[in-house]
Amino acid sequence: MKSYQYFIDYFKNAPAIIQVVWVMIVLFMVIITILIIYLKLLRSRLRKNEKIVAQYQNEYESNLITYLYSGNEEEEVSAEQQLIVDKLKSCVPDKFKRRVVVSTLLRLRNEISGEMAESIQKLYFQTGLINYALSSLKSKKWYVVAKGIRELAQFHVKEVNDQIVIHVNNPNKEIRKEVQLYLVTLFHFEGLKFLDVLQTHLSEWDQIQLLEVLQRFDEQEIPNINPWLKSKNDSVVIFAIKLSKIYNQFEAKDTLLELLEHQHKKIRVEAIQVLSHLQVYEAKEVLKNKFNELSLEEQIAFFKLLENVFESSDETFLQEHIQHKNFEIKVSALKIFKLLNIEKFHSFKRLLSAPKDAEIIEFIENN
Amino acid sequence: MNTSTVEIIILIIHFLFFIYACTAIASYIILAMISSKETIEYMKKNSFVNYKEILSSTISPSITIIAPAYNESLNIIENVRSLLSSHYVNYDVVIVNDGSKDDSLEKMIVAYDLVKVDFLINQQIPTKPIRAGVFKSTNPAFEKLTVVDKVNGGKADALNMGLNISKSDYVACIDVDCLLLENSLQKMIKPFLEVTDKTVIATGGVIRIANSCIIKDGKLLDVNFPKKLIEKAQILEYIRAFLLGRMAWSRLNGLLVISGAFGLFNKKVAIEVGGYDTNTVGEDMELIVRMRRYMEETKQKYKVAYIPDPLCWTEAPDNYKIFISQRNRWTRGTIETLRMHRKVAFNPKYKSLGLLSYPYWLLYERLAPVIEVIGIIYFIILAALNEVRWDYALAFIILAYLFAVLFSIVAIFSEELTYHQYKKKGTGFKLIMISLLEPFVLHPFILYAAIRGNIDYYFNKKKKWGEMTRKGMATS
Repeated sequence: MKSYQYFIDYFKNAPAIIQVVWVMIVLFMVIITILIIYLKLLRSRLRKNEKIVAQYQNEYESNLITYLYSGNEEEEVSAEQQLIVDKLKSCVPDKFKRRVVVSTLLRLRNEISGEMAESIQKLYFQTGLINYALSSLKSKKWYVVAKGIRELAQFHVKEVNDQIVIHVNNPNKEIRKEVQLYLVTLFHFEGLKFLDVLQTHLSEWDQIQLLEVLQRFDEQEIPNINPWLKSKNDSVVIFAIKLSKIYNQFEAKDTLLELLEHQHKKIRVEAIQVLSHLQVYEAKEVLKNKFNELSLEEQIAFFKLLENVFESSDETFLQEHIQHKNFEIKVSALKIFKLLNIEKFHSFKRLLSAPKDAEIIEFIENN
Repeated sequence: MNTSTVEIIILIIHFLFFIYACTAIASYIILAMISSKETIEYMKKNSFVNYKEILSSTISPSITIIAPAYNESLNIIENVRSLLSSHYVNYDVVIVNDGSKDDSLEKMIVAYDLVKVDFLINQQIPTKPIRAGVFKSTNPAFEKLTVVDKVNGGKADALNMGLNISKSDYVACIDVDCLLLENSLQKMIKPFLEVTDKTVIATGGVIRIANSCIIKDGKLLDVNFPKKLIEKAQILEYIRAFLLGRMAWSRLNGLLVISGAFGLFNKKVAIEVGGYDTNTVGEDMELIVRMRRYMEETKQKYKVAYIPDPLCWTEAPDNYKIFISQRNRWTRGTIETLRMHRKVAFNPKYKSLGLLSYPYWLLYERLAPVIEVIGIIYFIILAALNEVRWDYALAFIILAYLFAVLFSIVAIFSEELTYHQYKKKGTGFKLIMISLLEPFVLHPFILYAAIRGNIDYYFNKKKKWGEMTRKGMATS
C-alpha cells in the first residue's frame, strides 16, 4: 500500500513529459498483453478454419459426386438430387460455407466436361448461388463486383451479359479486367467487341490473359481486326497487332503497312515485327527508303525483317550497314550477307579487322 | 564558455536526441500504417489473379535468371535444379561461375551434360573475360540452362556478364543458393506488364529465411521455425523489414533497395545505366539508386515495384561472426551508395528520391547506428558524472523497449493475417518470445556490425566481401 502511494505521489509530482511517458508505458503494456492473447486466438482460429474448410470440402465434394451420379432420364431432378440441392441451398446463406461450396463446385467443374459439367452449372442455379453473384454486381466495393463477375464467367452464365458489359469502362481496372475475361471466356472472338468501345488502356498483362483465353478455343473464325488496328486507343492497336501475328492475319497487311507511319514508336516497332513474321515484302521497300529516319528500335526490327525477306537487290544496302555501330544490326547484316554472297562475306574479314568484329565474323562463319 | 552556455549546448543536444528519437518512431508508425493499407490492397487485387494463365503463356515476356556462383560446389547442383524448376514458360537460367577455385564447373558439366558452345556476346558492359567458355546442355531437359565460366571479378561483375549474355527483356538477378518458389517469376513480372502510365524499372520480392526448413529437389516442403536465437531473431527482423517497411516505400515509390538475393530488372534500363558497379559492396542498392537517378534525369516516369509474397527463401547466417560480417558489408554498401549519389540529397530536381527516400536513408539508416552509439557514450559520460536522473532514464528505456516489442508484434500480426507461413503449433509463442528478446540478442550485434562497417569504410578501404560459409539448406 505504501509503495503504491509512493508511485502515485511520484507520478503526480513528475514533470508532464515523464507523466506522458509512464502513461504510454502502461498503455503499451496493455496493448501488448491484448495483442498476445489475440494472437493466440487468431492462430488457433486460422488453424481451426483450415480444418473446417477441408472438412466442408470433403463433405460437399461427396455430395456433388452423389448429385452427379444419381440423375435419371425420366426426371429432371431425381429425389436424391433434390435432397442434395436442398442441403446445399441451406448452406449458401452462410458466407463462409458459400465460399467453400463455390470453390468445390469450381474445382469439380474444371476436372470434368460434357453433361456432367452442365449438371454442375445447373446446380449453381438450383442452389441459388447465382443470386449471390448477381447481387454482388451492385456492390459499392470493387472487389465484390470483380469477384461476382469472375464467378459468373467461371460458371459460364451468359444470360447476364447485359449487366456485365456496362462495366467495360469501369474506373476500376480489376473490374474492367474481369469484364474482359468474362466476355472472351464466354463469347470467344465475339467477346472482343468490347475493344470497339474501350476507352481505357489495355495493359500487357490484360492482353496476355485475353490471348491465352482465346487460344483455348479451336474455332479459327477471326473477326475483322482492321477497325482495331485503326483504333484511337493505342493499346487496342497493339493488341490487334498481336492478334494479327498469332492468327497470321495476312488480310490485314495494308492496315499494318499504314501503321509504319503511326505516331507512336512502340506501335511502329510492333508493326515491323508482325510484318516480318508475315513476310510482307512491301514493308521492306517502304522501310528501306526511309531507313535513316527510323529510330534505333525500328532499325533493329527492320533488320530482323530483312533476315526473313532479303533479296539479292539488298546487297548494296546491306554493305552500307555492316559497319553499323549497333551490335544487333551489324550481326544481322553480316548474317544475311553470308547467305546472300559468301565470297563477299569472306572478304569482310579484311575490312572488319577489329577484334570484336572478327569475333562476330568468326561466330557467323561457324554457325 | 561559461556555465550557462554549456548548459544551453547540453540542452540543445538533449533536444536534438529527443527530436531524432520521436521522428524515427513516428516514421516507423507511418510506414507501418501505409504498409498495412498497401498489403491489404495487394491481397485483394491478387486474389483475382490467375497465375496459371500467365505461366503457361508462350507470349509472356522472356526472363533470364542470372545467378553468380563463387565456390558453391557444395550445393550447386541442387541450387541450379531449383532455379530450373520455375513454372514460368518463357525463361532461361544463366549461371555465371565467377572464377570459382573449387569444382563447381566440373560438377555442373557432369550433372547437366554440359558442352562448350560458340556464343556471341554483346559486350555492352565491360566485364572480366571468359575463362573456360560458355556451356549449354545436350540434354533437352536442361535446355534452359547456360553456364558461363569467367575470370573472377566479384558478384557485380558476374551479374554484368549475365546482363551481356541475356537475350531477354527482363533479368532476375538472384543469389545462386536462393530457393525460388515455382510461381515467383510470374508474380514478379506482373508489375512490369500491368503498369501502363510509367516504366517499371525493377521489382523486389520478400526474402524469407530457409534455415531449418525442409527442401527437396529444389522445392520447399515444410516451413520450420529454427532453434537458434540468432536465426529466430533474423526471421522476425525480416518480417518486420519486408512487411512493415518496404511495402510502404513501394507505395510512396521511394524504394532505394531491392534485395540482392532476388530482384527483377528491366534489362534495357539496367544496361543503359551501365549495369552493376563493381567498385562497391552494396551493388544491389547502388544499381537501384542509379537507375532511379537516370530516370529522373531523363525525365521518364518510372516505378520500383515490390511484391509482399514470400517468393524467395535463403539461408541466413547462423552464427554471430558471419552475421556481423554480413551486416558490416551492408553498412559499407549503404555508405558507399549514399556518398556516390550525394548529389541527389535534398535536391528537388530528383523529387521524392531527393526529398524523401534519400534523406530518410541518410538519417534513419545510415546515421542511426552512429547516433545511437553517440547517445550511449553520452549516457555513460553522464552516468560517470552522476548527472543521470535514473528514474527518468528508466522510464524512457522501458518505453523504447516496449515500442520495439509492440512494433515486432504488429509485424507478426501482419504476417499471420496475410501469409501465415509459420503455421505449426507453438510457433506463435516462440515469435512472441523472440520479439521480447530480440532487442538483447540481435540489436546489439547489428549496432556493433554497423559501427565496424563505418570504421572499415573510413580506415580499412581494402576490405571487400566477407565470407559466408554455406551449410546448405535442410533436405528431406
